[in-house]
Amino acid sequence: MIPIKYNVRNLRVRWKTTLMTMLGTALLVASSCILFGLVEGLEYSLKISGDPLDLIILRKGSSNENTGGFEANKADDVLNLKGIARDENGASLAAKEMLNIAIGERANGTRNNLIIRGVQPASRKLRPDFKIVAGRDLVEGRGECIVSHSLSRRYKGAQVGGQLNFGDKEQYRVVGIFTAGGSAAESEIWADLKDVEKNTGRDGSVSCVQLRAASQADYENIQKTVNDDTQFRLAAVPETIYFENQSRSSLFLKAAGTVIAVLLTFGAMFAAANTMFAAVNSRTREIGTMRALGFSQRDILISFLGESLLLCTLGGLLGLLATLPLNLLTIETSNFSTFASVSITFRFGWTVAAVAMIMTVAMGLFGGMFPALRAVRLEVISALREL
Amino acid sequence: MKYFTYIFRNARRNPVRSVLTIASTGICMFLMMLLLSFFANKNEVTDGSKIYNRIVTMNANGFAGMVPVGRIREIVAIDGVKAATPFQWYGGKYHDQVMPFAQFAVDADCIFDILDEFTVPPAQLADFKANKDGTVIGRRLASDWNLEVGDPLPLKGDIFPVDMNLTVRGIYDGPSNRDLRMCLFRFDYLDEALKRVTMSSSSGGSLATNSARASGNAGTIFIKCKTGNGMAGLCKKIDDLYHNSEYPTRTQTEEAFGKMFGEMLGDLKNAIYGIGVAVIVSLLFVAGNAMAMAMRERTSEVAVLKAIGFSKGLVLFLVLTEAILVAGFGGALGSLGCKFFCDVVDIGRYSGGFLPFFYVPWNIAIFGLVLSLFVGFASGYFPALFAANSSVINGLRKVV
Repeated sequence: MIPIKYNVRNLRVRWKTTLMTMLGTALLVASSCILFGLVEGLEYSLKISGDPLDLIILRKGSSNENTGGFEANKADDVLNLKGIARDENGASLAAKEMLNIAIGERANGTRNNLIIRGVQPASRKLRPDFKIVAGRDLVEGRGECIVSHSLSRRYKGAQVGGQLNFGDKEQYRVVGIFTAGGSAAESEIWADLKDVEKNTGRDGSVSCVQLRAASQADYENIQKTVNDDTQFRLAAVPETIYFENQSRSSLFLKAAGTVIAVLLTFGAMFAAANTMFAAVNSRTREIGTMRALGFSQRDILISFLGESLLLCTLGGLLGLLATLPLNLLTIETSNFSTFASVSITFRFGWTVAAVAMIMTVAMGLFGGMFPALRAVRLEVISALREL
Repeated sequence: MKYFTYIFRNARRNPVRSVLTIASTGICMFLMMLLLSFFANKNEVTDGSKIYNRIVTMNANGFAGMVPVGRIREIVAIDGVKAATPFQWYGGKYHDQVMPFAQFAVDADCIFDILDEFTVPPAQLADFKANKDGTVIGRRLASDWNLEVGDPLPLKGDIFPVDMNLTVRGIYDGPSNRDLRMCLFRFDYLDEALKRVTMSSSSGGSLATNSARASGNAGTIFIKCKTGNGMAGLCKKIDDLYHNSEYPTRTQTEEAFGKMFGEMLGDLKNAIYGIGVAVIVSLLFVAGNAMAMAMRERTSEVAVLKAIGFSKGLVLFLVLTEAILVAGFGGALGSLGCKFFCDVVDIGRYSGGFLPFFYVPWNIAIFGLVLSLFVGFASGYFPALFAANSSVINGLRKVV
């Protein structure tokens, strides 16, 4: 076998070409990784939002809490069900919530629909890792609200001390900024349930009830009661499943990401092939010499394929490195199944690594295949004769 | 022009390399066309709505708010208004797919006077007006789902607690750059179903009371104005009328209304533009590399050219033109190829109702072409400069 050192040295000697090819492929790999990192971020936020014992109670037939309104007295009955988990202070882990979607204005003057969630104290415990990072938590019944970190950076009046106005009747004073472990709540504004009911004139109904069961048995009981009892006739959806369905909204991003990644892989593949063809051409005599020394055709093939893989791996690694600072990147856009703002934080995870890996290997192998085959097919005598 | 043969032969001298560079440029341009057209198409729907003199009234606080349907009568009475219809987003499930296409509850009597860019055969329209459970769907939607006049179109309520068992009564057609994938059905059908649910609810009718999901909510009101001039005044007039009511309104031109949806994309727009820029920069490296490799192989040849009297500028020109030729050819293949591809394959169909139509406008295709010429120029510039400034003696001495 031809030592790998030979390939490394070759890449180093022709460093300008190597660098150009690396930069080219790196940018293409990085572009695809960014998109998949966003898809992964969106899916992660939905995955982390659901605890296995959490249930979300919606109106039957509704697929979304924005549209899942039902009567408040039914919701009160749900809150009094047996088997709901309690926190360390003995308070029950169940909350009525009401969602309102109103138009907010970004600092740059553009608009988007924001989710305002009327919450009860237990709502916080039902989210993973809920934390107030600036200001304080809201006090009930005083028209106060807390805003997610991502929204507070983008929207007018959404900073601590600011005022959010959604029309004459719906106004909230911002008293705090919160994070919730990267879960879906980080795209929302939270206010007191009573305030939201009053401001929107929707007292008497709720959007959903969120609760955590005390045990697996309780979990099944509650689910059965809520689904089947004539008193309720609601849908108790396991939160994990609820969010799994929501992640369909990431399909568009995923499809776009796949199209872009596939096209870019082909683009980069041709670039790598170009470089490798030049490498083979300029080394015709070397190849002849190696064959004369007794290296087999297979050795040559493996060596050139390996060089191509090495070249693309360097590019891919550089591309991956370029996405590292993006771990703090959050983009705010719209979820097109709810028409409401959603904040997506770039997440470097397995999908991203896999995309980079697949792209790199595809480029290296297919880009290197034809040049390597050409190297293999060279006639020893005429190759040695070449200048 | 007399050098063209020489340039052309040079470009073909290493056909593998040229083909690879062309393919690389072509594919990246194909992608650029998709990205840019996405935004261009979104804007086109919005900008294209200018000529129809329509304004849209919604609740001032957003789509979750109520717009009482009784206001339509008051709005139609205003001077300068030709007609008005409720336009309520239903968002139901079809074949268990959530929101597979846009569905709106409208007033059958005037909807096609208001959306007058669409045409429906008169007999079908009469049928639609006569049947409460009728629906008129767009031509593209009909072909997507193989629907014909007379077919049932059952929709399951998702936002609303009622199902709509519709029957296709007509198929509308219109300009190809308008939304031909809507399902329009009768508002009174939806409203009556909602009334029944509210009445029979066990809890004394409290279900969704006062909320946007109750009966009597028009969602939004589409208004056709008599002329385009007074639209701004009309918007203000309508909003002033309801300013102190329980449900204040926000009225804007259809164009501004559409723009609001574009703005919702937010940072995603910049992210996609960022990717576009990265692709172009990457192309610069790829094409530049290919050109540099070509020039390295021709070092002695360039020296001969200069030795027999070709000026620096001429050498620069020869190399640059070759680079532009190769990249431009790739760009033309990519951008025009993408345009024809999108003309043949209806991508909008596979977007799950996200894009009503998708095509590459000419200005975007031309832009792609210009962009690839620029890539050719920029990528050829340094190799060309290098060749033009290379030393004749060293070049002649060099054995390749």
